[in-house]
Amino acid sequence: MKRTDVDEILRDALREEVSGAQPYLDELEERIVVELGERRPRLRAIDWIRQLAAPTRSARFGQLVVVGATAAAFLIVGLFASQFFEQQSGLPTGGGIRLETAQEARSGLQDVLFVVPAPLAASTVVVVGDFNDWEATPLTDEDGDGIWTTTIPLSPGRYEYGYLIDGRWWGEDPRADEYIQSFGEYSSVRYVGRGGEGV
Amino acid sequence: MYRVQDEVSLLRASLEGETEAWGEIISRYKDAVFGLCIGFLRNRADAEDITHDAFIRAYVNLRRYNVDKRFSTWIFTIAANLCRNRLRYRKNHPVGEMPIHLSGGTDPARALEQEERCDRVRAALGRLPYAYRAPLVLRFYNDLAYREISEILAIPEGTVKTRIHRGKAMLKEVMENREERDQA
Repeated sequence: MKRTDVDEILRDALREEVSGAQPYLDELEERIVVELGERRPRLRAIDWIRQLAAPTRSARFGQLVVVGATAAAFLIVGLFASQFFEQQSGLPTGGGIRLETAQEARSGLQDVLFVVPAPLAASTVVVVGDFNDWEATPLTDEDGDGIWTTTIPLSPGRYEYGYLIDGRWWGEDPRADEYIQSFGEYSSVRYVGRGGEGV
Repeated sequence: MYRVQDEVSLLRASLEGETEAWGEIISRYKDAVFGLCIGFLRNRADAEDITHDAFIRAYVNLRRYNVDKRFSTWIFTIAANLCRNRLRYRKNHPVGEMPIHLSGGTDPARALEQEERCDRVRAALGRLPYAYRAPLVLRFYNDLAYREISEILAIPEGTVKTRIHRGKAMLKEVMENREERDQA
């Protein structure tokens, strides 16, 4: 048997399996379209800001109205609160409203550091977890010392994850809060915010 | 309506929430994604689940797709990662491989021979470790370049080449051993 035969047989074998599944595949798009219904792709924060910056569409005008109304509401509540606390404590509160609002805006996300001491020969290190839908987020080792790092902004919660070092699974991160072994291999778990350090 | 549209237009329409455009994307890629899944997983029910999930996840996360890259690479990466998770799950929750009965060609003897060869290669593929099986499927079923396979599986290009070379040798060996056993 020639090597090229193996390639061709493999290709034919998989094509046959795909043909055999046509009853399932024939209606796949219809089923998924129905399931998606009115659902739209998730909007990332940066896209949302970009959309706001583009004033041409009426839908974006609607978003501006919502943002404007929210900001006005915060301002009014803040003004009342500042007057109330000024009366209560007698201390000056200039700037307090802005600081509080900025903290609230930031409180959603925390920069979480992922660090892997990989073998020096490693050429690709990625982290996969439920925070990135198990898609690879690459780590970098710019100084070549074998310590690969990346920072990912995450909102408070519990996250399962692991690393792929040159494609090999490594799920026992020493920085993890706990480990789980539900799928036969270890995965790491990190708690961000609410009692977990996150970083 | 969408048949004549280019892929980027379909993806833009999908981003705007036009699920019919996404349906057209699915119809273009479903065979390739399903072939990848069944090649990786060696189980039809799991391959159907993962194919379905991959298209749902890709749609929901469509804004993360970088238009400078090939869409096929992105959807294959999602499918490959979902397959990996399913295989991890299957280590603790094993199921048997489902027999797949296929129709033959016009010449019964030739069809039988072809079917036997295909059965042998499928059985051999199922015995290969995932690390070798995945690059073989991407190379010979999905017709991808080494660079794309490297990106999808998050392994260096050199490792992809090595695994394909060794994987083919292993596949051939397993098939030949089975042939000898059948003849004995």
